[in-house]
Amino acid sequence: MTDAASGSQDRSVQVKLVLLGEAAVGKSSVVLRFVSNEFQANKEPTIGAAFLTQKCRLEDRVLRYEIWDTAGQERFHSLAPMYYRNAQAAVVVYDVTKASSLEKAKTWVKELQRQANPNIVIALAGNKIDLVQPSSSTPTSDSEPEEEADDATATPGEPSGENGENLRQVPRDEAEAYAQEAGLLFFETSAKTGEGVVEIFTEIAKKIPIEQILASSRGGASRPGAPGARNAGQEGGVNLEQNAAKDKDGCNC
Amino acid sequence: MATISTHLRNFKEPTRDQLTQLFFSLPVDPQIEGPPGASANEKSGSSSSVQGAAGGGDMERMEISATLSLGVSGVEEPYPGKLYLIPPYLAFTSLDRKSVRFTIPLCTVRRVERLNARAGIYALSLLLWHNMKIVVQLTSLRPNADLFCALLRDSLKVELQRGQMKLVKPFSKTSFSEILLATASEDEKEAAAAREEDLRATETMYTGGLGLKFKFPGDARKLREASKTKLWTTYLKTHGRHLTLLRYPQCTRLVQVGLPNRLRGEMWETLSGSIYLRFSCPGDYERILEANTGRTSTSTEEIEKDLHRSLPEYSAYQSEEGINALRRVLQAYSFKNPETGYCQAMNIIAAAILIYMSEEQAFWLLEVICDRLLPGYYRFINSMPMVFAFRIIDCFFCMGPKVLFQVALAILKINGEQLLQIQDDGGFIHLMREYFASLGDSAHPNSSDPRARAITRFQELLLVSFREFAVITDETILSERRKFRSEVVHSIESFSKRSAIRNLKTLERFTKDQAGLVYDALFKAICIEPPPDVAQPPPSLLTTKDTAEERPETRIGLKTFRVFLSEIATWARSEKIVMNGFQDIVSGLNGVMFNDLMENIEWFFNLHDNNKDGYLTRGEILTLSESLLFIFKHEIGDAYLGAVSRFMSNAFEYGDALLPDNEQPQPQPQEENDESGEPTTPSIETNQPYMNLATFRMVVLADEILESFFETDFSSTFKLEPVPMMELPNSNSGLLGGLWSTITSDDSKKMFHKISDEVGKSFGKHSAVYRPAIGKFTHLEEPKARESLLTPTMRRTASRTSLNASNSSPDNSAYLTPATSFATDPSTHSSPSQIATDSLSAASLASSEFSPMPSMFEAAAHAAVMMERTPFAIDDAKDDDEDSDLDDSEDGDEDVMDEVDAFLEAHDTGLTEAERELAKDLINASPVK
Repeated sequence: MTDAASGSQDRSVQVKLVLLGEAAVGKSSVVLRFVSNEFQANKEPTIGAAFLTQKCRLEDRVLRYEIWDTAGQERFHSLAPMYYRNAQAAVVVYDVTKASSLEKAKTWVKELQRQANPNIVIALAGNKIDLVQPSSSTPTSDSEPEEEADDATATPGEPSGENGENLRQVPRDEAEAYAQEAGLLFFETSAKTGEGVVEIFTEIAKKIPIEQILASSRGGASRPGAPGARNAGQEGGVNLEQNAAKDKDGCNC
Repeated sequence: MATISTHLRNFKEPTRDQLTQLFFSLPVDPQIEGPPGASANEKSGSSSSVQGAAGGGDMERMEISATLSLGVSGVEEPYPGKLYLIPPYLAFTSLDRKSVRFTIPLCTVRRVERLNARAGIYALSLLLWHNMKIVVQLTSLRPNADLFCALLRDSLKVELQRGQMKLVKPFSKTSFSEILLATASEDEKEAAAAREEDLRATETMYTGGLGLKFKFPGDARKLREASKTKLWTTYLKTHGRHLTLLRYPQCTRLVQVGLPNRLRGEMWETLSGSIYLRFSCPGDYERILEANTGRTSTSTEEIEKDLHRSLPEYSAYQSEEGINALRRVLQAYSFKNPETGYCQAMNIIAAAILIYMSEEQAFWLLEVICDRLLPGYYRFINSMPMVFAFRIIDCFFCMGPKVLFQVALAILKINGEQLLQIQDDGGFIHLMREYFASLGDSAHPNSSDPRARAITRFQELLLVSFREFAVITDETILSERRKFRSEVVHSIESFSKRSAIRNLKTLERFTKDQAGLVYDALFKAICIEPPPDVAQPPPSLLTTKDTAEERPETRIGLKTFRVFLSEIATWARSEKIVMNGFQDIVSGLNGVMFNDLMENIEWFFNLHDNNKDGYLTRGEILTLSESLLFIFKHEIGDAYLGAVSRFMSNAFEYGDALLPDNEQPQPQPQEENDESGEPTTPSIETNQPYMNLATFRMVVLADEILESFFETDFSSTFKLEPVPMMELPNSNSGLLGGLWSTITSDDSKKMFHKISDEVGKSFGKHSAVYRPAIGKFTHLEEPKARESLLTPTMRRTASRTSLNASNSSPDNSAYLTPATSFATDPSTHSSPSQIATDSLSAASLASSEFSPMPSMFEAAAHAAVMMERTPFAIDDAKDDDEDSDLDDSEDGDEDVMDEVDAFLEAHDTGLTEAERELAKDLINASPVK
């Protein structure tokens, strides 16, 4: 990469990523976990959209995620196209304890597949699995289920009297089958414990056609109309799939 | 929510009256008009108020030039300005419209006296609640002044009759300032009376915000609460409070320095004007909650999701008490304003204001923010540390929405150098975040002057905002908005259109462009004839989770659809038709426009087969014929009329021939009964199955004109043409709009309506162009050989009918005659509408997902690139007890005064020395006997 004329070693690859999903499924929390490795129990709702960035390394490349975290309330739906336009990746989030949120996620996927960038990499993420894991479900004491739920990521106001698998409304199999059918990456995550969060972004990074992005950004931004834009693609012609497979923690975030 | 929204386009510039009302923070909705009846009649005689504009209320409004003096010598300069009587309020503003102003409910006026002064001087002394006296010198001509006084007297009388005066006392007890002054007025002269009254007040009514129990954000000592409270106490003592507050320059400056926590809630509602709503609608808040107990809706569901996500770090919102209060306020708002319902971000603003005020106060303030103060810009609460955010909110309520622009510009200016070096969005957001986090730091950390070092970046920000950007006025904002409105409207509309088309479940056989044309035609129809207000969805909808199908979508009314249809098919101009959404229309048109001959015939048959039994009754055949006549009514010549006549006689003869034998004797061929073509009363039941599709098809195909009509002509009458740029009335700025705003009295409005109707008739498309839609056959031709499928008698009959028809005069009215005379049953009148209903509603309901938001939130969302609030805990508030920093109050006062001085501007009242003297004299003048 030292011989890359335009200095690709310094230039990170910018990846525009958008988060979509029903209100209060934990979109912002997932991003916060990814970007700052933090978790806030009662995160304020996102209004309009939030913008965050995070760099991560995949192999010899540095990816710079530009993350547009959208508002989930239905009322903001019509703004979403502004954010997913030209996005190279999308994470559609649902809440494993809320069946309706998967339905919403499906409509998002459909909309993305119909209207977004045709090469967009879409990941489906079932969040809040901390609520349905046996570890957090100690049904020994009936007296304080309320507290536990509050403590966790439960959406306030939901009936949260029960613990563990009982709370689960979306079976993993079902969502996974759907994801496969629709050609999505699939994850179950917990922004609270951090489980599965980094994996989403790593897998997306592997699947993103980085060379294309590089080529187009070089052709577009740094050397407008340069005919040699294809060079970038050839020079960096690494088979990412292969590399990714052997190097598990390519993403250093 | 596939709502095709036209409200942006329908935006109306506020009228002059509305602007005045807005300026004085008066409730825009005249919920509090004077009582009708006696007072109104009494008033009608004097309709010629000189400068007053006849407004919405029953009571006469008037404005008059006046000079305001405070009844206490030496406290304030006299200010010239304008005095407004806007029953039930009295309002004043100084000439510069910012130095001095007040808005006072008339019921707080206890006594008005004409002052005995020099000749030619007309002055009134008003004694207000709180024993505060103000003197207004009416500087207008004598008759104007007399009229003003008369109107004022009448308005006061009405207020007295309404019993409003009695409400002031209990209401004032809900205000913190009363307690503040009661405790502070120990050693005052009038303390005895005042204290007795006020101390009683403290026992009961006053309910503050959550802050009283859960502490206010910020360090009281750092915020110099005691000093600020002291300054305010002094100010409120002489300048009135809550309902009677007079706003002199000092008031604004004190606000800019920051309100003391305990007074903050009251001042917010006073400055924003929400206090007038609360005062005029006592008990409404409780009633709304009570009436809707247990009700759930999409809004309440959404509210539940966010309750625990509203300023979660503030301790009150970690307790049931705080959460419940927040829930009640948000729900009450959503019940009162079902259209807006709940929008994320309201939770944050409601949570913020609840710290400082009671639920009822917060409810009304939320109302004012969302409806009046240009909602959508309140995101800054999230971006800045709370103590600073509240300071800006103080100014916002005091000086209006322009503050937000001033502050925003100042932020950009202060950070200008760095901003220019930033490459991308991320960098921008990073810079902003850093800047907000450093607001508490010194603006000049390296300065040698300790005073300069003490100036924080926040103070610097306010100074830049209010000094350098003082040029930004409400007028600037209005005019900029005006400039860009159409652009914004256009882009939003085209966005809506694209998503509406994208979200159609199916394009049917249209191309995207064609669907776009359908949309345009529909949109235009909606603009011309706005659909009726969407009825409240049935309760079942409210409780279920909304799946795509259940979401409300655009429904258009009969009238709208009529306009729409007339856009695309000329024969439909000026008749009636139905309810339908965009998808229905696309699907319905699909059928009409792409069917072939047989499909069209079947479609037409089915449309008229009301009970779908596969047979037309005689009545239905008549209806069908009428439909055909309706479609043909603008065709030139009588070929089509003849075709329909032939169709009818063929149909009846054929139908009769096919009747079972046990039926009544063969009815007489109709044409023998009546020359005018009116059918005999059928001797068989009209609702009896009479003709099936096969027969119908045969009869249609027997006629060349009808065959051709069903094969191609009918479909081609639907023309999708680009809708020309709409010259719709999108604001008052248009010619008619401009005219409109100047026409004020009801009578002239009616007149104007009439005129405009006439004008509309003369140039409207719908009356002018009745062009034939098909126009293929313009001459009546003798029936061709194919009629031979009928018996010779039948044939003779048919041709005679057509001859009859051809005798009738060819003008439109004559064409319609048969149609009307056929109407044996009133329901047939609606036949054209049935066509549309059946065809279009047969299509599945649209479930398109695009959902333009109410504009207010759209603005919010557009503006919002959320900046994560720098993690911010409530500042250490242990030291909240205000007495504790009394010891340093001396220094504190000075500091605060320094800050106040920083905002000091020369307020040139514009009075000459002599005038000033006169005003001073008036303060001590005695009333006229």
